[in-house]
Amino acid sequence: MTTQATVQPKASAADSAAPVGDRSARLRLILAYVLLIGYALLMFVPFAWSVATSFKTRADAAQLTFIPDPVSLTGWNAAFNDLDPAIPVLFFNSFLIAGIVTVTNLVLGSMAGYAFARLRFPGREILFLLVLGTMMIPDQLRLVPVYQILRTLGLLGGNAQYIGVIVILAIAAPSIFLLRQYFMSIPVALEEAAKLDGAGFYTTFWRIILPLATPALAAVAILSFQGTWNGFFWPSVILQERDNWTLPLGLWQFNDLYNANWPALMAVVVMATLPIVVLYVFFQRYFIEGVAAASVKG
Amino acid sequence: MAVASPQTSRGTIGSERRSEMIAGYVLVAVPMIIFLIFNIGQIFYALYISLFDWGARGAKEFLGTANYTDLLGDPIFQKAITNTLYYAALVVPLQMAIGLFLAVIVNQKIRGQTFFRAAFYFPAIASSAAITVLFIFIMNPEGLFNNVRAAIGLNPIFAALGFPADQNWLLDSSTAMNSIILLNAWTTSGTMMLFYLSFLQTISKEVYEAAAIDGASWWQNFRHITFPLLAPGHYFVATVSLIGALQMFDQAIIAGGSGGEPNNALTVIVLFLYRSAIREFDFGLAAAVGIILFVIVFAFTLVQRRLFGQAPAW
Repeated sequence: MTTQATVQPKASAADSAAPVGDRSARLRLILAYVLLIGYALLMFVPFAWSVATSFKTRADAAQLTFIPDPVSLTGWNAAFNDLDPAIPVLFFNSFLIAGIVTVTNLVLGSMAGYAFARLRFPGREILFLLVLGTMMIPDQLRLVPVYQILRTLGLLGGNAQYIGVIVILAIAAPSIFLLRQYFMSIPVALEEAAKLDGAGFYTTFWRIILPLATPALAAVAILSFQGTWNGFFWPSVILQERDNWTLPLGLWQFNDLYNANWPALMAVVVMATLPIVVLYVFFQRYFIEGVAAASVKG
Repeated sequence: MAVASPQTSRGTIGSERRSEMIAGYVLVAVPMIIFLIFNIGQIFYALYISLFDWGARGAKEFLGTANYTDLLGDPIFQKAITNTLYYAALVVPLQMAIGLFLAVIVNQKIRGQTFFRAAFYFPAIASSAAITVLFIFIMNPEGLFNNVRAAIGLNPIFAALGFPADQNWLLDSSTAMNSIILLNAWTTSGTMMLFYLSFLQTISKEVYEAAAIDGASWWQNFRHITFPLLAPGHYFVATVSLIGALQMFDQAIIAGGSGGEPNNALTVIVLFLYRSAIREFDFGLAAAVGIILFVIVFAFTLVQRRLFGQAPAW
């Protein structure tokens, strides 16, 4: 680092201290933008392509033209009329499961997160380690025993399958962890003031802590909803009857059954992805904060 | 707040402690019960099942370790292990390198930082099912990938490498797994970028200021400051990426079915497990696969910890 510095100290000092104006720095900036825009296109083009393809005819879908010619709704018609289970059924199942799992993660996660952050009780540290330990166990290791238990409980047929999936996904360790970290960052003084006013633990939790934790609650809600909406592994194990399938399971089967009917398949891809894209556009911050929070804090 | 006041203000310190304790247990009870039954307890149940010939109707016969010896002698299972390790060996460095590269670029003083960060994470928000079906469409013989390489004149290069103009990437056993590697490098590098970005923020600015005084170039900064100081980040990203890679399943089964087509090219460990359990109802064998996978994941995590000499960030 220092050897080169002695050779031409002025030029390179200017290089990092004042990037604007310097020729090599400007070149680097241009190169950075080219890379950034190029890579961003690589991220978006396939999705834009799926939207365009959904409005094409089957013959047109094999062409390297972006604008559908002619614009056709046959793909969307097929997606709505020919699929079994029908699209509304898949949407209903996905919304039902993702909605309930989001609520259970918020309720159970914030309750446990508060207890782990603030309340003193024997065994707290061991229990919290246990929570973190669940993240070390691969889901796949649990496939067989969970399947056995759910079958014994009669949760592998009919609408009981919903309960099966929901119980497995009801609470995830990251939900507890994320909320606990956030609760710990709230100044204790607020709770002490409430305590002087005579508030108990539940009142403090409900009236003081929860309202202050809306950003963390939003992050957990979004992560849970997105994760469950997109989830594939547990649904593919538990939801064996097609009437209970979620959108990802439907897509998996349609891909086999409607092989090469690309406009119809792309219409389903667009529909399955759209709700999450809308969430992402409006709540992008929470998506990104949720992912980042998993890494540094601990 | 007034509702609770009579009891707590009158209570002695001892009874307050007690009510705090009870509140603690009440609040963690439901998650802990779910974790114990459906998570932690499952290791032991899986271990137990793996010692039996266990069919759709439950235990048939005690086998001891026969499921394990059968597995290790099964050429298809060996192939599943090789496929998984091959996939991990390529996808982990790719995801780390692209993730680090993007993070360093996005972390500079540039316009539209938030936009680019959001754009690079974009493929990670879609479901694996949607993105795999989209990928199958792009990689089909008449798909976008083959059309674009023809249009920009790359076909002579591809021909020299032995790929015809209508190469069926996902149905050719020599290219199927590499295609899935490409897919998951594309979708997951954005996540790795976000991890790296949050670790980049932990490096103090003063280090760079000192280097600037010494006249360090951009590359020297990266080589001697950023890269080594990111050691905890490398450890974290490598671990997350590797654990994900060893458990790869969705993309393999959607592209190759439960048979891992073509010719078991996409049969990875978890696909083998799923096939044994859900398709063949050989639960004892499937449970043994789960235990072997757990041991592999655990062993790799330990090796990584030694390599990077760092405790995990969580």
